[in-house]
Amino acid sequence: MKKMLILGALMLGSTLSTAFAGSGPIKIVLPEEADLLEPCMATRSNIGRVIMENVSETMTELDVRGDKGLMPRLAEKWEQNADGSWRFHLRQGVKFSDGTGFDAKDVEHSFNRIMSDKNSCESRRYFGGMTITPTVVDDYTIDFKADPVQPILPLLMSLLTIVPEETPMEFVREPVGTGPYKLTEWTPGQQIVLTARDDYWGEKPEVTEATYLFRADPSVRAAMVQTGEADLSPSISQLDATNPATDFSYLDSETVYLRIDHNIEPLNDVRVRRALNLAIDRQAFLGTLVPEGALLATAIVPPPTLGWNPDVKVFPFDPDGAKKLLEEAKADGVKVDTPITIIARTANFPNVTEIMEAIQAQLQDVGFKIDLKFVEVAEHEQYYSKPFKEGRGPILVAAMHDNSKGDPSFSMFFKYDSEGTQSGFSDPKVDDLIKRASAAVGDERAKLWKELIAYLHDDVVADVLLFHMVGFSRVSERLDFTPTMATNGTLQLSEIKIK
Amino acid sequence: MIPPPGLSEGAMLKFVRKRAVASLISLVGLIVMVFFLSRLTGDPAALFLPVEASAEMKQQFRELHGLNDPLLVQFAHYVGDVLTGDLGESLRKARPALDVVLEAFTWTLWLAVITMSLVTGAAILVGSLAAFRAGGFFDRLSSIISLIGASVPDFWVAIVAIVVFSVNLAWLPTSGTGSLLHWILPIAVLFIRPFGIIVQVVRGSMIGALSSAYVKTARAKGVKSRSIIFVHALRNAMLPVITVIGDQAASLLNGAVIVETIFGFPGVGKLMIDSILQRDFNVVLAAILVTALAIFLMNLLIDLAYALLDPRIRH
Repeated sequence: MKKMLILGALMLGSTLSTAFAGSGPIKIVLPEEADLLEPCMATRSNIGRVIMENVSETMTELDVRGDKGLMPRLAEKWEQNADGSWRFHLRQGVKFSDGTGFDAKDVEHSFNRIMSDKNSCESRRYFGGMTITPTVVDDYTIDFKADPVQPILPLLMSLLTIVPEETPMEFVREPVGTGPYKLTEWTPGQQIVLTARDDYWGEKPEVTEATYLFRADPSVRAAMVQTGEADLSPSISQLDATNPATDFSYLDSETVYLRIDHNIEPLNDVRVRRALNLAIDRQAFLGTLVPEGALLATAIVPPPTLGWNPDVKVFPFDPDGAKKLLEEAKADGVKVDTPITIIARTANFPNVTEIMEAIQAQLQDVGFKIDLKFVEVAEHEQYYSKPFKEGRGPILVAAMHDNSKGDPSFSMFFKYDSEGTQSGFSDPKVDDLIKRASAAVGDERAKLWKELIAYLHDDVVADVLLFHMVGFSRVSERLDFTPTMATNGTLQLSEIKIK
Repeated sequence: MIPPPGLSEGAMLKFVRKRAVASLISLVGLIVMVFFLSRLTGDPAALFLPVEASAEMKQQFRELHGLNDPLLVQFAHYVGDVLTGDLGESLRKARPALDVVLEAFTWTLWLAVITMSLVTGAAILVGSLAAFRAGGFFDRLSSIISLIGASVPDFWVAIVAIVVFSVNLAWLPTSGTGSLLHWILPIAVLFIRPFGIIVQVVRGSMIGALSSAYVKTARAKGVKSRSIIFVHALRNAMLPVITVIGDQAASLLNGAVIVETIFGFPGVGKLMIDSILQRDFNVVLAAILVTALAIFLMNLLIDLAYALLDPRIRH
């Protein structure tokens, strides 16, 4: 009897996926569970990784693997009308997973739904500061009129997930979409299963079924791929990435930096801000506390982003220069001896404690008085975002910013505009450049972003930019898949090939 | 609190009622404290919404979830809802908070019950045998083992266990749920610390009991060692042991955060930590209510066990 029980348990517990060459089910292990599978929340990474473009599709899609730029998805093409509004021509013959057909009314409803006050749809944030009116022209044509005119409206449409017009305004727990997969099982705390649809409009993907598992510990995730309990873990720790056959690093879209609060002395003095930058030996972190493949940052957005400026050079490590600048400032009466506090977030990224301690030591070496304070996410948020506390001392907020969207507008306004929620200063030239760049198109747009990035780095010395981070992934040898900059927020099952 | 002598049915009810009132008072105090402290130390709107969300979006989020009302009004609403059995909805999961908590608590309860049963059996056996020949080889061995058990960090044991039993030997799944095999590693890891502690308590208490006059009398009468240990001495040595078992079980009922996190076990400990970090107030409060209730019931059982074990308490 006992043997039978054990045998039964073994059979139940057998988690090895049966693989057929070229197609089959896979298991993916992620660090954080999706607490909600709501399409309008798919811009949040833990939710987007599961449903974005797998269950819920968008009208347009940004190519992060090649250089095709913005690609059609549910919209086949689009153009700007004479009045500045945008017209989208929709794909025909597309069906939602509940069997209903897709047309322009669904797009209109999807947009109205994210703007509704009956929910807290996260994708609404991309449409702040503008008024957008969708107008259905016919079943497969829709116009979006934006005030002020939005040159990147088609790019913004890569963030609007399309739901059927019957979807209630309140959050739903069972997403219905036009994507290649539908949700077939969700056991909260345990697993989510997506199954390929037979009636998908596009190419049939090789992955027939994807089971998502969630483990907070990176070494467990790595072990699961090693033992065959999972086929893919997009994020493992650098320490576990030891097998060249399955593990590799990729540039993710996270940028680590110290946000400077320019409002408080001595950080209101540009020499002091420059001294902060010169005092840090960024290169020394690479291959030690920060993974080798990471890049030294000169902008808040990583290199593949539009307008990233190759002419801006990383601050050299120059402790003598830093000391000199501090002395100059001191001679002019700037209180450079005031203790400055670095506020960092516990477990924000690997080695955050050691990295911040090293930075603290390097800053102290040139004469800064630096306190280091670690706080949890909720408290960190109070330092990071406005309204800032009255009566605060000089503060550097250590933070990590994610932009995999290909355009700096998703970062620049919030981080640097006078009205930006997380901006530590106010500069009319910066505001003007952001406004003009956001409204520009093509080469002009790239040029203005470049100008802004150089101005922020070289003249304003807006913050202490540190590293564009790399992630490590473990991919089973039976799969053919390379994570990209977008993998943090989107993990398209149709891009995964089975050997 | 020891129940009064003469456990008649009436006295029993009175005792339970008294305990319930005392627990209720502390529970209410706890809820009030958590309610206000959690709301004063973080804004769920800032945590639920992305950092880039506009002030308008945050305002609307607060409006939607009634977080704009004065704290006292929010509290009055909450108390009113709780009295009608409604513990509110999870901000993060858009589901009733009580459902979320009960789902997780069921896993935790099983984990705690199975682990504590195994721990109790094993610790009593090992502790008693060690005490019987105090200072002997078995005693020393069990002391070393229990000392290591009580002091070794569980996250380390958990990771090493996965490397050995799952990765190298491939005997057990690394983590997760789904089969009986998935329970083995989490239970084994959870077993270690309470086992180490309780063995020590059993041993100490048994040494005291074994040197008492009634044991000497029994020995003089020629009673077999086995019945001396397990019939005469053990019962008398159990009172302090039960207290410690209760403490250990209570900490398991609150959730074994580390074990749950590493093994991907969907228990209430990790749920509670995540909900606190995200200021998902309703889930935090529901989790506190549910676990506190469970601990209250367990303490009640322990008090009754005292009475059953010790006739001096009963009569």
